[in-house]
Amino acid sequence: MNISKILLITFISVLLSLVYNHFNPNGLKFIREERLLNWESNSLSESDTLYSSINEKNINAPKPSDSLVIDKKNESIKSFQKPKAIKTDFAYKLFMDGVTFIDARSADEFAEGHIKGAVNIPFYGSENYLDVINSLNKNEIVVTYCSGADCDISILSGDELFELGFNRVYVFIDGYDEWIKNNYPTIKN
Amino acid sequence: MMSGLKIITQQLKTNPMKNFYSNKYLLLVIRIILAFVFIYAGAEKISDPEAFAISISNYRLLPIATVNFFAITLPWIELVAGVLLIFGISVKENAGIIFSMLLFFTIAIIISLFRGLSIDCGCFGKGSQIGLFKLGENTLMIIGSILLMIYGSTLSKLKSE
Repeated sequence: MNISKILLITFISVLLSLVYNHFNPNGLKFIREERLLNWESNSLSESDTLYSSINEKNINAPKPSDSLVIDKKNESIKSFQKPKAIKTDFAYKLFMDGVTFIDARSADEFAEGHIKGAVNIPFYGSENYLDVINSLNKNEIVVTYCSGADCDISILSGDELFELGFNRVYVFIDGYDEWIKNNYPTIKN
Repeated sequence: MMSGLKIITQQLKTNPMKNFYSNKYLLLVIRIILAFVFIYAGAEKISDPEAFAISISNYRLLPIATVNFFAITLPWIELVAGVLLIFGISVKENAGIIFSMLLFFTIAIIISLFRGLSIDCGCFGKGSQIGLFKLGENTLMIIGSILLMIYGSTLSKLKSE
């Protein structure tokens, strides 16, 4: 095995990739910026507001007063630019308002227990759930969740639903684990 | 194909292990499979670089600023190594490249499994979650690439010399 050949092949591949990326309209920026999921400002508690002011540039949280006004004025027509992240308290508030929760976990995990009234649309295999997706009203608020902060499928699911035309998608970041800890209503199949 | 199988079984009978592993038909099969897997994986990621970048960042192993660099370059290394393997050009070297990539991917998956992350593998675009099955797949491919690194594969090689 010839090490210099390996280096040469790798070097040529890297060169090709950079040229392709440069001319590709969907090409990436060389330095990546943090994947930002904007927090729904109403869902931030006081301690979080402190956190968000420290990281204001990163989180891009709108000023609470502004968005409250906007929310109330345009409740029915306002759609998001992107899915928004929410905390447990706010998720519970939405739950009490009868908002649809979407469980992005597998059907097995869903059967073991889920948020009361939630609809199961597993992220892996969501193409088999198109009729479920189509049966939901795309102008209504939906909340996606998975097991907790260590899973990413709630965010990915949220992105996917948003691309499918859902206007107001919330991602319940702390997920099912936190829901159980708070003794909020769950159900088993 | 049938004659290849016959020779493999014959050699198994006469001289068990070494000849079996260095059998040129077996090595050709491994070479073609690895090549197609890597061409497919590379092309899939090249078609959607942003999705691959998100997959890499979900592993939470690399500094976020470096993620795009890997998302841009890795798929092309996979693709080029795959194409060269198909044509039998520098088989040992390309097998070496594929081996080291597989090793890194597998380590990343093992670390993530231990950390209890349930994330998308990012191996072939969307569709597979990391797990033991993925580890098994990678282990098989690692074994294949080691065999190619040791014995090479000259059968149906693009003649240039």
